[in-house]
Amino acid sequence: MPIDFKIVTPYGVTYSDEIEKVSIPTTNGMITVCERHAPLISVLQSGEMNVHKVDGSTINVAVSGGFLEIQSDSRVYIMADTAERAEEIDLSRAQDALKRAEELLKNEDKLADVDFALLQAKIEKELARIHVGSKYREVHLN
Amino acid sequence: MAVSTKAINARIKSVKNTKKITKAMEMVSAAKMRRAVDAALSTRMYASLCLEILSHLARVDEPNFPLLEKRPVKNMLLIAISSNRGLCGSFNANVIKRCGVLLQDKQNLSKHRITNDFEIEPESDVKIDVLGIGKKSALIAKRNGLDLVAVFDKLSEKPTYEDVLPISNMVVDLFLKKKYEKIAVVYTHFGSTLVQTVKIRQLLPISEHDLEKTLQQLPKEMDESYKDPFPIENYLFEPDLETILNTIIPRLVEVQLFETILESAASEHSARMVAMKNASEAASDMIGSLTLTFNKARQAAITQEISEIAGGAAALE
Repeated sequence: MPIDFKIVTPYGVTYSDEIEKVSIPTTNGMITVCERHAPLISVLQSGEMNVHKVDGSTINVAVSGGFLEIQSDSRVYIMADTAERAEEIDLSRAQDALKRAEELLKNEDKLADVDFALLQAKIEKELARIHVGSKYREVHLN
Repeated sequence: MAVSTKAINARIKSVKNTKKITKAMEMVSAAKMRRAVDAALSTRMYASLCLEILSHLARVDEPNFPLLEKRPVKNMLLIAISSNRGLCGSFNANVIKRCGVLLQDKQNLSKHRITNDFEIEPESDVKIDVLGIGKKSALIAKRNGLDLVAVFDKLSEKPTYEDVLPISNMVVDLFLKKKYEKIAVVYTHFGSTLVQTVKIRQLLPISEHDLEKTLQQLPKEMDESYKDPFPIENYLFEPDLETILNTIIPRLVEVQLFETILESAASEHSARMVAMKNASEAASDMIGSLTLTFNKARQAAITQEISEIAGGAAALE
């Protein structure tokens, strides 16, 4: 029985398909969900998600925070703040964003705690995007 | 023959120009509307999934979380979403009117509804403040003699999730500092191009009763999945329920606000499109009747000239 898998963000459904298994970054570490997984609600971590499709191919998706719900009948819903397929990531823009965020973080004494946390989250997110994006480029463009 | 053909001609020309403008505005609004509607509809899925998870979680136990806390209402904040620009038919007027009606019964407005028959009565004298989104929202506070906390009028035509964060952060902050005991948002629900209704939705504290009401309003996008809800007691929580609530609840506030803003944007553009369509049609009618008057005047002028010439010729004989 394939898993009914959906990635939903505030901007809509990014990905929806029947899949074999999926590896998801959570705050407790990477988890891999196969069919008939126990129902679970957990918190997402910025990082790379590997979706293994039924035909054997894999898709890499960069996600930033959010949460996920696994229902008993092999339905997996990822509620991510942002989710991007590897081929959609603009690497140079991601690197620029990372650089900007890191520079801002250097002036940390001027920052409020909230801004600091936001910047760290942003850096994590951009790192995940760069990671996923450059991996895709290595496989497909060389 | 009093009307000069020249004056009528000038009038026709000016109406034609106006029609060109309204026609262009109509088409621009139509394009913007399509985008705004798409955005609003795609957010609904995320919002309804969040709401569903939360209403499941609420069944486990009533966790002691500050954003869920129901205190008797002394101060209430009303967030009113209007447009930044005019020329959109009765869009803003409807929001203002609805707020006026709601504000007449402050007691009812500021009740906490826990179930259909159990309510927490507010304090006897409730103070209501307004937070405006969009330039026109300031009018609501002015007309009803209320304090205006802030106006956010820099939202773009196509608001992003990040645009909404400052507003939701501010609202959550005000609630946590116990400045307000209840926060509700008045927005325009996008039913279709022709049907938009002004609605009120409770934002904070998050209550199960309101969540269920909101869920009913949202179209079910995956109705089959919840036919047989799995008992929530069997769910695993990682790392724990509290962390999950900490992640979900602020997002729920953000996404609800985001969704209402997008719904309002979609409604605004469609209201403007319809208004401009009506204006273009009115201009067409006007051009029609003006052309008729112009032709009559022209005819009358010709007839008069002929009779003058005929009269002159007869006098010569």
